[in-house]
Amino acid sequence: MPSLAELQQRFADALCAPEGAMPEFGIAGDAPAAERMDIYRRAIFANYRKALAATYPATQRILGESAFAEIVDAYVRAQPSLSGDLNDYGETFGAFLGQHPAAAALPYLPDVARLEWAIDEVNRAADDAIDPERVLEALATVAPERLPGLSLRLAARCRLIASAHPILRIWQANASDFGEESRAATDGGGDALAVRRDPDGIVVERLPAGDFAWLAALADGATLARAIDAAGEADPAFDLGRSLHAQIGNGTIAAIVDG
Amino acid sequence: MSLAAGRTVRPADSSPAVDRSLRGSAGIGLRSPHIRKLRAERPPIRWLEVHSENYFADGGPALAALDDLRTDYPLSLHGVGMSLGSADPLDRAHLAKLARLANRVEPTLVSEHLCWSGVGGRHYNDLLPLPYTEEALAHVTTRVGEIQDAIGREILVENVSSYLGFAEATIPEWEFVAELARHSGCSLLLDVNNIYVNAVNHGFDADRYLAAIPRDKVAEIHLAGFEASGPFLIDTHGAPVAPDVWALYTRALARFGPQPTLIEWDLDIPAFEVLAREAATAQSLLDACHAVAR
Repeated sequence: MPSLAELQQRFADALCAPEGAMPEFGIAGDAPAAERMDIYRRAIFANYRKALAATYPATQRILGESAFAEIVDAYVRAQPSLSGDLNDYGETFGAFLGQHPAAAALPYLPDVARLEWAIDEVNRAADDAIDPERVLEALATVAPERLPGLSLRLAARCRLIASAHPILRIWQANASDFGEESRAATDGGGDALAVRRDPDGIVVERLPAGDFAWLAALADGATLARAIDAAGEADPAFDLGRSLHAQIGNGTIAAIVDG
Repeated sequence: MSLAAGRTVRPADSSPAVDRSLRGSAGIGLRSPHIRKLRAERPPIRWLEVHSENYFADGGPALAALDDLRTDYPLSLHGVGMSLGSADPLDRAHLAKLARLANRVEPTLVSEHLCWSGVGGRHYNDLLPLPYTEEALAHVTTRVGEIQDAIGREILVENVSSYLGFAEATIPEWEFVAELARHSGCSLLLDVNNIYVNAVNHGFDADRYLAAIPRDKVAEIHLAGFEASGPFLIDTHGAPVAPDVWALYTRALARFGPQPTLIEWDLDIPAFEVLAREAATAQSLLDACHAVAR
């Protein structure tokens, strides 16, 4: 008698086999075994299509429903789910799109998908209580000689996304169904974006190159001095005072970490 | 019955007993298209059930909506991803998220499915059928205990729809379900639609199933719609409850009493009013059952 683990593995193998394939384990009753297995085969792919369409609405709209479904199916086979929580699945879909021939004519698509994943993550991120006034006060109390070595912690509910394509415009044109085909110009320079969750909902904001480089360095754990260097390289006109106030004020910088 | 022989049987009182306060009440499954309306209008629905995993997030608007709604509606947490019957070890992180959510929203009921959804580290994120064997029964019995220990309360376990049975199965589904309830200390969430669907798909008598289930172990009932596909019925949760299922439900109420009953609708989700009407139908049957019971 095969063990539970063996029976489940045989079932799983049959699930991954093409529709119509006979399962290599015994099935009770007289109805066709392949047909019974096909119900599960169809159901799991339908589940993943539905789940990823909910996470990636603009990506689906750009590709069209059938191309999107085909790519999701390929993605599920190549990079299966490792979590019982379907909400965890799909983080690498953007990178996968970059490798998939069906998306080759849409070079901006992987980054649009990365933006949609970032929005999804931000929507599920912790509701840290962030008080900009207190962060500014904390900053004001730091001794000047300690400022270069400070770390600034970014809020859990913010993400940074850079792209060589104008993905904000493309995403906006495709993120919701306006009842008619929306087409955005897909050329015209890249975007450096901050995604954050404000009390009223998701905000996607274009950042100046210096601000983006600065926040990205801080997000990577760089000290304030190193982050300022990174910002200066990206934009010689980077204005630290303005950016500090703006990014503390909008809740992106959640805390000062001294030492 | 000798199924329990040689198995470690957990004492049935190891976790706080299941909350019976929703007895006699019909509820609905909370789905995202209806959240705005429920929050704004607070319609007279007796209780709400949500898929636990959809609220595993650290924060954000979905969880905030649930925090808000639970001030007016008792909640049931219904897990779809625990992979209760998998041969893989229980996912401790998943369990910890369920415990965190239960602490936060203080649900009246917590349930899981009698199925598995992954093996060998890979997940299929669907409710896959168990081979109804002695080994599987012992395994699931132990796992129910682990879950109840981890979240500190009794859970309900739901019978699932299935489209195939394993040739290796040695126990009829209804006996497997009944034995699990007797020996694991869990209660049952009896999905009457799933019993009906399985009766057709596997050719058994649905009433025989009901008769095998211990009267005192059922603490919730589910109802939903199915769709026919060739010789099979598919549990799509995308249609009204079928007349035959309402009839089977009435017989279930006669046996198990007016257990809290939930209408589930997950595919082609209709207007809220359609769902509310289905719940009202269940409520009238619950009320009639209650009158007889008194």
